Amino acid sequence: MSNFLRVPPELKSEPADSGPEGPVTVRTRSRFLGVAPLSEERFFIIISVFIGIFAGLAVVCFRLAIDWTRFGLLGAAPEPHTLRLIVIPTLGGLVVAILVIAFFPAVRGSGVNQTKAAFYIFNGVIPLRTAVGKFITAAIAIGSGQSLGPEDPSLQIGATLASFLGQRMNFSREKLRLLAPVGAAAGLAAAFNAPISAVLFVIEEVIGRWSAGILGSVVLSAISSVVVVRWFLGTQPLFRIPPLTVFRPSELIAYISLGIIGGFAAVIFAKAIAYFRPRLHALPIPTHYFQPAIAGLVIGLIGYLGAPQVMGAGYEYIDQAMHDQFTWKFLAVLAGLKILATTLSFVTGTPGGMFAPTLFIGAMLGGAVGGIERHFYPHLTGTTGTYALVGMGVLFAGFLRVPMTSVFMVVEVSQDYSIIVPVILANACAYIISRSFQALPIFDVLTRQDGLDLPSLEELREESVLHVEDAMKAPPKPILNSEETVRDAAFQIQEAKSDVFLVRMKPAGWSSITRELLQRFSQEGKAEMTLGSLLPPQRLPYLHPDYPLETALRYVHQTALVPVVSRADLRQLDGVISSEDVLAKYRVAVD
Amino acid sequence: MPEVSSKPITSRYSVVIAALTILALLGFLFVGRLVRRFQEQEKAVARHLYTQGLIEQQAGKPELALEHFRGALTYSPDNFQYQLSLARALRDSGRTDEAQTYLISLWERAPQNGAVNLALGRLAARQNSLDKTIQYYHNAIYGVWDSSEQQNRLNAWFELVEVLLRWQARPQAQAELIALSASLPNDPNLLLRAADLCMRAEDYAHAFAEYRKVLQLDHANPRAAVGAAEAAFNLGRYRSAEHYLEAASKENPGDTQITRMLEVSKFVLQQDPFTRGLSTDERTRRIRIVFTEAGKRLESCMNTVPQSSTSMSKDDALPALKAQWQQMDHQLRRLGREGESGLADSVMDLVLKIEQQTSNCPITPQDEALLLLAQNRGGVEQ
Repeated sequence: MSNFLRVPPELKSEPADSGPEGPVTVRTRSRFLGVAPLSEERFFIIISVFIGIFAGLAVVCFRLAIDWTRFGLLGAAPEPHTLRLIVIPTLGGLVVAILVIAFFPAVRGSGVNQTKAAFYIFNGVIPLRTAVGKFITAAIAIGSGQSLGPEDPSLQIGATLASFLGQRMNFSREKLRLLAPVGAAAGLAAAFNAPISAVLFVIEEVIGRWSAGILGSVVLSAISSVVVVRWFLGTQPLFRIPPLTVFRPSELIAYISLGIIGGFAAVIFAKAIAYFRPRLHALPIPTHYFQPAIAGLVIGLIGYLGAPQVMGAGYEYIDQAMHDQFTWKFLAVLAGLKILATTLSFVTGTPGGMFAPTLFIGAMLGGAVGGIERHFYPHLTGTTGTYALVGMGVLFAGFLRVPMTSVFMVVEVSQDYSIIVPVILANACAYIISRSFQALPIFDVLTRQDGLDLPSLEELREESVLHVEDAMKAPPKPILNSEETVRDAAFQIQEAKSDVFLVRMKPAGWSSITRELLQRFSQEGKAEMTLGSLLPPQRLPYLHPDYPLETALRYVHQTALVPVVSRADLRQLDGVISSEDVLAKYRVAVD
Repeated sequence: MPEVSSKPITSRYSVVIAALTILALLGFLFVGRLVRRFQEQEKAVARHLYTQGLIEQQAGKPELALEHFRGALTYSPDNFQYQLSLARALRDSGRTDEAQTYLISLWERAPQNGAVNLALGRLAARQNSLDKTIQYYHNAIYGVWDSSEQQNRLNAWFELVEVLLRWQARPQAQAELIALSASLPNDPNLLLRAADLCMRAEDYAHAFAEYRKVLQLDHANPRAAVGAAEAAFNLGRYRSAEHYLEAASKENPGDTQITRMLEVSKFVLQQDPFTRGLSTDERTRRIRIVFTEAGKRLESCMNTVPQSSTSMSKDDALPALKAQWQQMDHQLRRLGREGESGLADSVMDLVLKIEQQTSNCPITPQDEALLLLAQNRGGVEQ
């Protein structure tokens, strides 16, 4: 078993496709024109591309449905002081509530948690009815002016399509479970026209961990869906990015203050949702029919009184804010009103997402802060567009608590790397403030409120992972060498307290010998023989100090002592570890 | 026997992939049709909103126009014309900062665009920024225009001159007019417009030249005749002025301004004592007439206007001038004699003083002519 010497234990391959339905992997050496026949692995990759294509098509239709609904219900250019602005969101809310309660109960809310639940709890199974319901209800809700966005529903629609395809093709449970995030990434990428951010978001929020096995499929589906969307709707982003000004180092203070303000805004937004959602949900069922309508009424009133910008997803107004078309005072008002409107829409269970409102609030807040700062410090070079863009990242980091996605989202949308330093700095401020005042990320809060407990990447990041070096002990003296004779070895261990000793083998590897075995070799007349010639060729497994402690668990039962050796020199012993050491460390950690 | 067991699965995968491909193609066709229909609708909505915006703008309602242009841009965000109109509406509704940022973003995308530069120039003019105004107007003049390039460029140029004149930036305006005149085609209207601007810029020589060009193209152009006359008059070229004024007077017999200028011109030509080739007696006679007229004006002004209202009342300027006039009157008999060549200038200096000090009194064409004669000694065109 010499290969055991060089292969790190955790990289040993696990048997593939061993779900309860049994292995379905096709193992064959037959080839046609040099092309290997399709295995489920390859088929899964190809299906990921199709998932991307279908999700892209679905999202294009979804966007058209929202826009057509808005055309039809609110008109091409909603203007304040029109009665329609009050009536339509109210009636729209009522219709949506009836549809959700009577026909599509699974489509309440954003859809991110439902997708996550499908991945972790329901083995990747999402009924097709969910996508249909989400499509219809979210289109009506957003099109009629509810302050929600199309991204999270797109994510759920993509995941549902993927799940449907997987179910129809009898994929193994393991693969079926993986299809939900693949579809989710496709749906989100298509809605957001930003594949990298979508992939990162799905990893950060839906899967909750880095998994190399699924990454390829997620990326493929996201890219294919974006290609489809760009094919039909063009390459332009959801909002046009004005020329960004390269910041001066002294301006970082301005961006830090944006991060702080954005962090507090995110906390207020998250706390408002966390507070009102369970309370409204706990009200008698008949009130659920009217809650979205009341939310629509209030939002309609806001629009009627002069701020129709808060109605719907609001991407066109993000565009306008980035191009300096509003005063900073109005931007600040819009940010506040959008928090109110989105909170109302979301806590009443109206189907729709929080991506767009988060970006809207961030853009308005960023623009307002930029405007104030430029008013008092005219020498600042940052344009409103630059501040609005950083503001979007800030709210993303503070409210959704997806720090990596928030940074990459801004860079991907702006296609300007020069902005990354202020973005990281401002996002970090918002993230820290949000974590300080809001223990759980909003999606975790929502899952807990729904009675679920799903893992998140933030939790995983928080876990203190124990390593082998935390539990290992100093190696027992003496360390024997394989070229030493049994007599020399017996002499060396005379004073030692231990009964087991490690033997450094030549040219590499480790073995062990007990006091008892040495005595037996002496009695058998093998005192002049070397240890290397007497010990079995099988080497001990070894560990490195940086391995997770759980890795040691796999090996400590095989031998009394597992050597812990240096990565730089495999013959250099850093310590030893035993099953008692591992358990003792875990006990201490739990206590 | 893996080979045997794999065949059905592999072929099933192939069938699935083929089916999905067909499904995807059908989906593309279906969604493609939907998108085309939607985009047509969007364009129609955008056009409608844009037209509404233009109507509002022309009706002097920039705020309403603003909303319509914004709406149009929602459905057609990359339409340059809509963007430009929005920027103009922002500017016209007084949102200069927003307009500037918006226009600069357009300018960064198309720095050579004449319309954008013109809009930026107008904005800079509103902000009283002379350098930027000139810079953007120049960009517009030498920039690229989508249609009617020559006309748009000339309009921008004329507009720049108007702005400069409004700011009393005469040297810059005169410089622009020289360059503009050189670029003008043989169009009487354009030449007349340039000549009028030259007049406003007090560049009478170029104004006169431009008016003459107009008259060469259109002999009967009354505005050009009047303009040429005024320019010649201001240049002190009274012979030319008289010529054009007589022509203009025939066209506009009731025009008091023309009549007045004609009278002044005639008087100047008749009484100018410094006309070359005059005999000593004639020169003396003319000086006496001029001197006598000045004395009459002084007398009349002292009698009709309270001293407190004259320009130098506190110094008793008019009585002092009267005393000087009387003193000069005694010396006048020496006029024309040898060795008294400086006396004519002294007389004319006094005439000038009198005319200046009595500027608040009602002025007659003769008085005006006296002033001109005293000012332009020897410079009057015959």
